Amino acid sequence: MTIPGFIVKNALRNKRRAALCVLSVAASLFLLVSLLVVLNEFTNPPEDVGASLRIAVRNKVSLATPLPVRQRPLIAKIPGVEAITALSFFGGKYKGEENTMFAQFAMDPEQLELVFGEAKLPREQLEAWIANRTSCIIGVDTAKRYNVKIGDKFQLIGQIYPVDLDLTVVGIYKGTTDDRNVFFHQKLLDELTGDLGQVGMWWIKARSPEEVPGVIDRINAAFTNTSAEVLAETERAFQLSFVSMWANIKVLISSICSVVVFALILVSASTMSMAIRERMRELSVLKALGFRRHELFAFILAESFGLAAVGFLLGAGGAWLLYSSVNAPTLTGGMFPTLDVTPRILAFSALVAAVLGVVSSLAPALAVTRMSVVDGLKTLD
Amino acid sequence: MTAAPIVQIRALTKIFLQGEINVTALDSIDLSIESGEFLTLMGPSGSGKSTLLHIIAGIDRPTRGECIVQDRNIAALNESDLADWRNQNVGFVFQTFNLIPVLTAYENVELPLLLTQLSGKERRHLVTTALEMVGLDDRMKHLPKQLSGGQEQRVAIARALVTDPKLVVADEPTGNLDSHSANEVLDILRTLSRDAGKTVIMVTHDPKAAAYGSRTIHLEKGELVPN
Repeated sequence: MTIPGFIVKNALRNKRRAALCVLSVAASLFLLVSLLVVLNEFTNPPEDVGASLRIAVRNKVSLATPLPVRQRPLIAKIPGVEAITALSFFGGKYKGEENTMFAQFAMDPEQLELVFGEAKLPREQLEAWIANRTSCIIGVDTAKRYNVKIGDKFQLIGQIYPVDLDLTVVGIYKGTTDDRNVFFHQKLLDELTGDLGQVGMWWIKARSPEEVPGVIDRINAAFTNTSAEVLAETERAFQLSFVSMWANIKVLISSICSVVVFALILVSASTMSMAIRERMRELSVLKALGFRRHELFAFILAESFGLAAVGFLLGAGGAWLLYSSVNAPTLTGGMFPTLDVTPRILAFSALVAAVLGVVSSLAPALAVTRMSVVDGLKTLD
Repeated sequence: MTAAPIVQIRALTKIFLQGEINVTALDSIDLSIESGEFLTLMGPSGSGKSTLLHIIAGIDRPTRGECIVQDRNIAALNESDLADWRNQNVGFVFQTFNLIPVLTAYENVELPLLLTQLSGKERRHLVTTALEMVGLDDRMKHLPKQLSGGQEQRVAIARALVTDPKLVVADEPTGNLDSHSANEVLDILRTLSRDAGKTVIMVTHDPKAAAYGSRTIHLEKGELVPN
């Protein structure tokens, strides 16, 4: 027999209680990891490979205020700009759905490869899209969700624009962090809306990451004191500007996380206290046999820590396995393109489990070390 | 039996605080126990016999006085040194056996050896020898619940002997046993004293059990009763 073996035997002496304790830790850590994943998806949207080169340009007044088409040639001439496309959020509903969970954008099809290079689309499909003004390409996740194939009709009911779109699917792309979006021709939108000479945003690709700050400064400066001042920023900054809208959700999720951890500590502390109280006499016998206070303290700590560690492996490991293997858009009804259990989240839940192991065993361990052998032997006699 | 005292107790007093009242459990006890002696302590409940045993065994501390065991004043040792001292010098046998229920007979006996630097092979030899001495070498893999009361107490005696201590203390070791098992246990304790030279100190209420000892002393109200 070894000391670790002795600790394991003690931890498993009441198998049902140990199993329930481990399961409660596992369930709570699974919930904690899930909440942290959701929080992470809200606050740290995934970044595409080409994001470091992309610049989003929107109207300085608000995202909902359009930009004049006349800005395009001026921006294209700015040093450091490699490609530019219009990008107008359509915001329609698919076939009268109450909540459509994919976005639709009008853009310049010729610029797709240049600006959004990570979108993998077969050459013939890209050419078919460029050639047909009433066609669209859709992300592979949306295609799977609605069982849409090339050649199918794809109808979108306008909610922002007073027009409906009757598109033909000519391509299915994949490879971006959000393979749900639908892209169609900006020219089609212009035609249907009476050619207002406006676009939602400009989306730009810089020549190199080093040139991005300079390009942003030059674009912002180029339209200062015009009727349509712009706000140019990196794609990352643009995405994070949405995060502030989630402030209350963040507070809510953080609060739930805190409550989960607190409840977990109470449950585990109660379990450990019961487990140790039952063994006061045995622990006193160990003292009589020559085991020192700090050794008994370490036994109890190791036992509690071990149960918490197994709970962590089951709970956090289970969450990692689940979210790595499921299709996130399907699981979340299209709300999140990914559910990423990051190393940071795993490390945090491991820390919670470790703290749990220590805190829950602290009171019973101290009680044991302070108790005299004689009192311990008398207590349960 | 050798003449050298293994335990010397001088003016030993133990006072407990029960609520707000001081209770004198031992009152200026003077006692000398020689090496190899089988001493039995008798007396009514509350007479202080278990308290005296606990102090000699180093699991309780006196309020005043000296308890010198093998030339060491154990009352002066700190907690950690006292734990080491108990592991190396004292074997315990309790009334309720106090075996660890999740460990086999072999593992229970091995428990005190986990605190030593002995190799696995050396530990195995000592555990096997101790279990053979109490006649339980065929019950090594049994859990306590699979043993009878007498067998459990013999495992407890093997656990007390495995570190080869000079002193074995037994607190009413036959209190939970039938007469047959009690006699077996008492025989073993007597053999330890007579043949192995161990000093055995046993607390008992039972005059028949006390008769196994080489000397009996009586306590009453915390004082030794003159023979």
